[in-house]
Amino acid sequence: MSEQNRTVAIHVPVLARVEGEGALDLRIEDGNITQLRLRIFEPPRFFEKFLEGRHYSEIPDLVARICGICPVAYQVTAAQALEKLFGVELSPWAQAMRRVFYCGEWIQSHSLHIHLLAAPDFFGCGNAIELAKIAPDEVRRGLRIQALGNELMDLFGARSVHPVGVRIGGFHAAPALSRIRDLRDKLRAALPEAEALVRWAARIPMPPDDQAFVSVAMRHPTAYAIETGAIAASDGLLIEADAYDAHFAEQHEPHSTALFSTYHQQPYLVGPLARLNLNHDRLPVSIQTLLAETGFTLPSRNLFHSLLARAVEILLALQEAARLLDDYTLPDSPWAPVTPRAGVATGCTEAPRGLLWHRYEMDADGRVVNARIVPPTSQNQGRIEQDLRLSLLNFGLDHPDDALRLHCEKVIRNYDPCISCATHFLRLNVERT
Amino acid sequence: MSTLRILGIGSPSGDDQAGWLTVDALLAAGVQSTVVDIQKLDRPGASLVGLLGDADRVILIDAMQSDGAVGRIRHFAVDDWPAYRHGLSSHGLGVLDALALARELGSLPSRIDLYGIEIGSANPGALADRRIEAAAQQLAQQIADDLTA
Repeated sequence: MSEQNRTVAIHVPVLARVEGEGALDLRIEDGNITQLRLRIFEPPRFFEKFLEGRHYSEIPDLVARICGICPVAYQVTAAQALEKLFGVELSPWAQAMRRVFYCGEWIQSHSLHIHLLAAPDFFGCGNAIELAKIAPDEVRRGLRIQALGNELMDLFGARSVHPVGVRIGGFHAAPALSRIRDLRDKLRAALPEAEALVRWAARIPMPPDDQAFVSVAMRHPTAYAIETGAIAASDGLLIEADAYDAHFAEQHEPHSTALFSTYHQQPYLVGPLARLNLNHDRLPVSIQTLLAETGFTLPSRNLFHSLLARAVEILLALQEAARLLDDYTLPDSPWAPVTPRAGVATGCTEAPRGLLWHRYEMDADGRVVNARIVPPTSQNQGRIEQDLRLSLLNFGLDHPDDALRLHCEKVIRNYDPCISCATHFLRLNVERT
Repeated sequence: MSTLRILGIGSPSGDDQAGWLTVDALLAAGVQSTVVDIQKLDRPGASLVGLLGDADRVILIDAMQSDGAVGRIRHFAVDDWPAYRHGLSSHGLGVLDALALARELGSLPSRIDLYGIEIGSANPGALADRRIEAAAQQLAQQIADDLTA
């Protein structure tokens, strides 16, 4: 039997007990991909209904439960949307500390993904324990950096998992100056480690790839967009959050319970590489210089650069948090008073995995009439399918089934979707004709 | 001065509170004054690695499920940990995964005692079975006796 006649079917059954449940069906017949379907079952779908009838004051704590890795993103996006509707102006202190809080989430999420999930792929390791055998110093460094992210989240959220610090109008409490200074010093001390992480990530040999895609990320007039900014695309789009529906659409596909997002009817990329592609000119000069030294040129059309993009954003987040905490003073009040009003609120921020968009219709009592939440993973879903198809064709379909499976996993992990937490999630059913 | 850390791991889900209940029983017995650090942890993930490296001795209590009777207490020596079975993940990095990672990184304390309490069901919001409460009391007493011996 020649390879040309080989039929390969890769089927991944539903995964249970992971934060995002997913499945991948891949069928190759006569050297062609005849079926490629990624199915992810998004938890936020249920939360939209849970939120109906809830008072605005409950929303930050409720949406924090959508994700155990990126609760800050959900809290800050919801707060931003509702504060805009209610006409609440955050104090400069609250604005700055929201960004610091968010930096903590980027640091912990990105560091976990690099060291526990993605990096082992590129060292021929099956997991981080194997990676720790050959790169113990790098894994230790990653865990130290990740712990700093958790500390930042804990500082403003009272706990790093499902934090409870955010309220509409600001924060429930302001951390004491002594705790801020202590953590600020730790962040500063970690900056050389984060620079070393960037250099290390840039030296990891990555598979060559060159794909055309649209990058979508928030953009700010002066800063690297995290918790505030407009929505931009690499084809020149620049819109506010309330214009999202005019350009982006969610639709059901028959093979998935999750919604697929499209931008002008096409798949698109969100996440760290999309952000760097659009906003590398907003990086601090010191980081731009570092990237020039490593030879990392942007924009990039190779999704395997996502690991390096996360390392760059860790360095950025550490710098930003330390800078903003330098000027910390205790505020008169950590929150501004809120008076609810009826209307429609939209908001968006950059979750670790990419653009996160919320829309709330509120009644005059400040209760949710309906809610829509578009998470990054569903926005990337169509792009992942497109990438898998192109990557597999570039990789070569005549590789052994295990090699195909591993390559699919590597490609999917570039996007850090919730299902990437299942390190070996592909089971192969091979049919040969 | 040697440092001792006691970590009870669990979640607010029925019998999965076994580690927490053991810490509660230790605190009720006044053990805290004799140790440097005693904590209840909720699925600590990779952060567990950082809690192991800076102590001379760590006592770690977690729920376990095998084929034993509910409430059975097992002690695992450092060379006798149950086999690592699952893929690592950011969402679900388990205690054994973290211990294995710490071992590779040379971050284990010079002495570590891992206790497992056999559990039945772990339903969110449910109370722990009485056999779990009894096992937690028994294990706490055992640890307290060991510390004062």
